[in-house]
Amino acid sequence: MDPETFISKYEPRKMVAISLAVLAVALSILGFTYIKTGSPVNLGVEFTGGTIVTVPVVESEGEIAAKLAAYPVLDIRDVGHRYMIQMGPMDDAEYRQLSAMIDAEYQDPEIKYMGPVYSTRLQEQAKTYIPLSFLFMAVVVFLIFRTPFVALTVILAAFSDIMITAACMDVTGVKLSLGTVAALLMLIGYSVDSNILLNNRVLKRKGKTEEKILGAFRTGIAMTSTTFSAIFALFLVSAFSYLVSSSFTQINILFDISIVLIFGLLAGLMNTWVMNSNALRWYLARPKKSVARRQRR
Amino acid sequence: MTEITKDPRVVIFFVAVAAALIILAPIPGDGGLHSRLKYGLDLEGGSWLQLKLQGAIVQPQVDPINILDKQFGDALERPVEVEWRPGSTDYQITVEGRASKTLAEDLGYPQATVTPRGNATKITIEASPVGVIMNYLEASLDSDVKYLGSDPLSFEVRTNVTRESLETILGEVGGTLASGDAGFSEGVTEETVDETKQVLDRKLNRLGLQDIKVRVVDNKFILIDLAGVSVADAQEIVGKPGVFEIRIQTTGNESMHVLYGDEIVDVSLPSGDQTGNWGVPFTLSEEGALAFQKAAVDTGATRNRMDHEISMHLDNELIFSAPLAQDLAASLEVAPMRNMVAQIGGDSQRAHELYIHLREGALPVNVEIIGSGQVTAALGDQFKKQVLIAGIMAILAVGLVIYFRYREPKIVIPMVATSFSEVLMMLALAALLKWQLDLVSIAGIIAVIGTGVDHLVIITDELLYEGKMPSDKIYLARLSSAFGIIMAAAATTIVAMLPLFGMGFGAFKSFALITIAGVLIGVFIARPAYGRIIGRIMQGGE
Repeated sequence: MDPETFISKYEPRKMVAISLAVLAVALSILGFTYIKTGSPVNLGVEFTGGTIVTVPVVESEGEIAAKLAAYPVLDIRDVGHRYMIQMGPMDDAEYRQLSAMIDAEYQDPEIKYMGPVYSTRLQEQAKTYIPLSFLFMAVVVFLIFRTPFVALTVILAAFSDIMITAACMDVTGVKLSLGTVAALLMLIGYSVDSNILLNNRVLKRKGKTEEKILGAFRTGIAMTSTTFSAIFALFLVSAFSYLVSSSFTQINILFDISIVLIFGLLAGLMNTWVMNSNALRWYLARPKKSVARRQRR
Repeated sequence: MTEITKDPRVVIFFVAVAAALIILAPIPGDGGLHSRLKYGLDLEGGSWLQLKLQGAIVQPQVDPINILDKQFGDALERPVEVEWRPGSTDYQITVEGRASKTLAEDLGYPQATVTPRGNATKITIEASPVGVIMNYLEASLDSDVKYLGSDPLSFEVRTNVTRESLETILGEVGGTLASGDAGFSEGVTEETVDETKQVLDRKLNRLGLQDIKVRVVDNKFILIDLAGVSVADAQEIVGKPGVFEIRIQTTGNESMHVLYGDEIVDVSLPSGDQTGNWGVPFTLSEEGALAFQKAAVDTGATRNRMDHEISMHLDNELIFSAPLAQDLAASLEVAPMRNMVAQIGGDSQRAHELYIHLREGALPVNVEIIGSGQVTAALGDQFKKQVLIAGIMAILAVGLVIYFRYREPKIVIPMVATSFSEVLMMLALAALLKWQLDLVSIAGIIAVIGTGVDHLVIITDELLYEGKMPSDKIYLARLSSAFGIIMAAAATTIVAMLPLFGMGFGAFKSFALITIAGVLIGVFIARPAYGRIIGRIMQGGE
């Protein structure tokens, strides 16, 4: 579809409403997950506590499952030339036994154990730090724009980005891990980039609003596609490079980070160019009085 | 426009890039060329342990008389009477009938005299009120307890204990804990954390392990990174004590074995007496005490103590040597002794070291392994290759996208070169400041490639607005407008990243550092120069 249609032909309020509807859907997905699991996003092993082991594939899934029958195995998955085995909580002695056994049986094993103290602490930190990060960003946005309407739309767009991304995680089964939390925080910072560009261009330049939005859109789309291409490269290598060489495998933490950033970038496109650009059109088309007051500031 | 090569922004940029190249150039070392870059465990191979120190700082409110009443009453199975005059260092316990001579010692009061008095027995123990409470806590919790201060009376319990269980223990002697967090707070003192760290450091050093990092987080957690060690071995090392041995001098430089550390059943915290002499009290098992007596008598140490010194060794290293004390030598002539004190003299630091050694390098507090893991070196190498490929692909992909957008090599080449230079400068900074590059921080670098180019796009588009290169005056106005956008975007990125420093025991510290550094390098070094250079190139093109 021609971007001009999006930006100038439709009724602004209708476009904003569509974006808010998407946000509402995302929030209800998160709400539903919350009711079902007690957390808005599915928690990975780092947050629930447990053990992750990856070993090279030298046997069938059944054989390795039999070998580990004595341990609380939750899931065995082939992640490209390696099995990733997730296990529930176990006591210290059991874990020592497991790590010694894995070390003896397999070449180049990767082992990760997260005890309940660690995971509880991490959960608390995520609950504090994600909102804190958002708050910091919001304060900076207010300092930059000063006009409450503009600042609030930018913050709303960032909020919507995060919520839609989290909902996408729920739908696609990506769990909250250290990597995804890092990506979400990164997204909070990056999600406002194109909004800042848009508002800057539209509010500070002379000319027809629609034309300015279109100009900003051209730049903005180039920005998003460069970031997207870099992140997509990361995604490809972390997820699929094992298809190219038998010595490669999936790298979970990079996969987590890249997939979340991809969701976020796509959500950002909508929130900036469908929601915020139309919110701005509506704002600037209001009766002159209040616009004049803003300009005198 | 001034001559481009004299513009300070451009000069700074090229100097920074040159410096980065020099820093990143491989340096010769043993076994070929080495890069100055430091890699994290997940790329280098190794294991990590995350330990939580178990313990609590408590303020008990209890009457020592009740404690002695219960301790002696329970042991003798009949009521006793405890007397104490305020300010005295003696407690008198009177009980009907006879009491064993070793009763007080068995209850943990070695300085005791037992006097029969008619039908009753009077036991006098030398102990302060604090000592009695401490002894009671140690005995009931089976753990070391450290006295912290008298106002209010507070102790450090060096094991995993809950408020409820401690209140039950104190309740049995009519006591309780002070209310609120002051009465009971989880965690140990900074000193104890330091001591634990030292024990670990020393232990790991004795094993000759290279590149060990022992870090303390929140005064409660200890993180250990061990390059090139499997996680099973790492847990073994941390949990396993050294070999402690007591020997006795026979003739000249010769000595003979007396006992091993497993015969030492208890070691108390070092204590100083009134004259400022420090000693470390310890208790032998019954077999240990017998072996000690036999050795002392056989070698003649009990009669000629100066020629037959007692020495202590940890992993075959001499750590303490002294003759028997006169009264101990005399006592050993007649009976085995279980409680002894290794006298150090006036050096409290040495007493402390000996205390650690006597415990065979065991940690002063109980630790719980709350997290651990390993990546082998070969796997780390694979990851390294994969992220290198991801980085190269990211730059190529970004270059391709820019090419489709501008279709002008004069713009595309400087843009990609600038983006690449930002990566070089980030890596050089990481090498210079010895940051560890791990998988996540490389993801951070790749993300910065993506967003860094965003900012170059903003600059370029701002300058090219309306499709042509403007005059000098407008050019500068546009450039500053572009930088307004870039600075704002950079500021939000940085503040949003700040909380990452505290997350997950610093697992994302390097990621947050490198991302923030990348943003700053971009905004203050690379992009100002790009703005000038691209302006010049486009003007030249017209």
